[in-house]
Amino acid sequence: MLEVKDLNAGYDFLQVLWDVSLHVSEGEFVALIGPNGAGKTTTLRTIAGLLSPMSGEILFKGKPITHLPAHKVSRIGISYISESLNLFPKMTVRENLLLGAYAVRDRKRISESLDFVFDLFPRLAERSSQLAGTLSGGERKMLAIARGMMSNPELLLVDEPSLGLAPKLAQRVFDALQELRRRGVTILLVEQNVNITLEITDRAYVLEQGRIVLEGKSSELSQNEHVKHVYLGI
Amino acid sequence: MERTLTGPSMRSAIWAKIGQNLVASIVIGGSVAAGIALAVLAGPAQLINSIVTGGMWALMSVGLALVFGVMNIPHFAHGESFMVGAYVAYFVFTPLHKYLKTNPNAFLSTMAPFIAILAATLVGFVLGVIIEKLIFYPLRRRTRAQWVMNTFLITVGISFIMTNGATLVLGPNFRGIPRYWDVDPIKFLGVRIAFDRIVAFAIAIVTIAAFWFFLHSTQTGRAIRAVAQDEDGAQMVGIDLNFIHSLTFGLATAMAALAGASLLFMFQAYPTVGLKPLYFAWYVVMLVGLGNIGGAIIGGFIVALLQTATQQFIGIAWEDVIPTIVMILVLLLAPSGIFGSEVKGVHEQ
Repeated sequence: MLEVKDLNAGYDFLQVLWDVSLHVSEGEFVALIGPNGAGKTTTLRTIAGLLSPMSGEILFKGKPITHLPAHKVSRIGISYISESLNLFPKMTVRENLLLGAYAVRDRKRISESLDFVFDLFPRLAERSSQLAGTLSGGERKMLAIARGMMSNPELLLVDEPSLGLAPKLAQRVFDALQELRRRGVTILLVEQNVNITLEITDRAYVLEQGRIVLEGKSSELSQNEHVKHVYLGI
Repeated sequence: MERTLTGPSMRSAIWAKIGQNLVASIVIGGSVAAGIALAVLAGPAQLINSIVTGGMWALMSVGLALVFGVMNIPHFAHGESFMVGAYVAYFVFTPLHKYLKTNPNAFLSTMAPFIAILAATLVGFVLGVIIEKLIFYPLRRRTRAQWVMNTFLITVGISFIMTNGATLVLGPNFRGIPRYWDVDPIKFLGVRIAFDRIVAFAIAIVTIAAFWFFLHSTQTGRAIRAVAQDEDGAQMVGIDLNFIHSLTFGLATAMAALAGASLLFMFQAYPTVGLKPLYFAWYVVMLVGLGNIGGAIIGGFIVALLQTATQQFIGIAWEDVIPTIVMILVLLLAPSGIFGSEVKGVHEQ
């Protein structure tokens, strides 16, 4: 479904990604793990169109989207849920969700999506008229994921959903991602919490200093000596 | 952006909040007092006068607040949009009026001013979109560095070009009309109010209400607010920034042109007619907080009240001085304005 070929990207004179290649098949749950500053967020931002790559190619369902601007990437079925969430703090939960369906013109589909995300996160339904800026950290994560789901995306790019959350809340977010996956959404997840990530994903890539150094089935990677030593602390 | 405040910074933040609320209470209380004083000492005519002007300042200020909030542009050519509106209304209305003198038609006489005002608004919108596409769009693509300073200088430049262009093409003459409608003044609370003023006020209120509804209850309006609050977030949900920026600038320019056209009977059209409305609109947005659209509406009336009270009790020459003094005091005590503003990006860029 998503194919990234020899991607080079970065900011001004600082190149962050060096020949990164990865692919995600339909229905797959794939993780991208690595230390801080490895370029995980840069990879997602480049796929999402917020950053234009220096060279390389990105294909979505066989079509090139390499230099597509972010709003068009969102409209073809890729939702990016960033680390900083990028919510609209002075709007209500409901308004944030409605904006998630900005490109959807069919009112019936919008209300179906609302029912869907309220079913997934009942907490958001309770808070629907509260300003997004006044939500707790966990609720904000849920809102960001829910907003990303409002456009019925086929591919979800999720950046560090457990960041800053208590373990119990982080587990809730991971449960939600697994639930979405069961409902047929393809997910590319960037995560620091390698332990849980390798448990719930099918495959994973290890990104170090802007290069993919390892890839494979998550169950196999968790047995890999390098991964065990560096990421799992065993 | 989440920030946890502790210790001294927490205390100073609390003091800042208290200071802001105090200043807000004083300014609002002061203007209410000025209003009451006007009504009691000078009669309701002056109060009604300032409410009419207030509606127009509010209309101008909302456009200014919108452009600053959404695009981070300190718009110093906003007065020239007012000027264009006044000219367009004049050049549409005068021939119509002449024609109606020889061919009386009651319906057309009622509608002619509306046609002129509507034409001015449409020209304003198109002009705004053209300026955005021709100037700010290319600049945004090239660099966002020093954005606020660059756009400030550019808008000052646009203002110079437009006022001098108007002088070159149309000359420095004043072009005005005595009134839009040949209707007797209407009596209200024992005061005679010109029909034109009532219509101008109604236009301001209806426009502001419609705009408020648009911002809060339509997807496009929400998208404008979304861009003001988080540009990346807006793009992530599929909002086309270029479209929203052009629309925003077009709407702001249209509102200023609408104000210029509606007030043609008060402000004759001439090349620098926009300066005063521009200054007053800036007083308003600085007073209430940059980019604060809701505040700009209330602020328009506050400034108009201060202005009329100054004219009445101190003298017409002081009309600019008092609002400026109030503005300086407010900025000293509550730097982000009486209603506060959280405009994104100004400090980052």
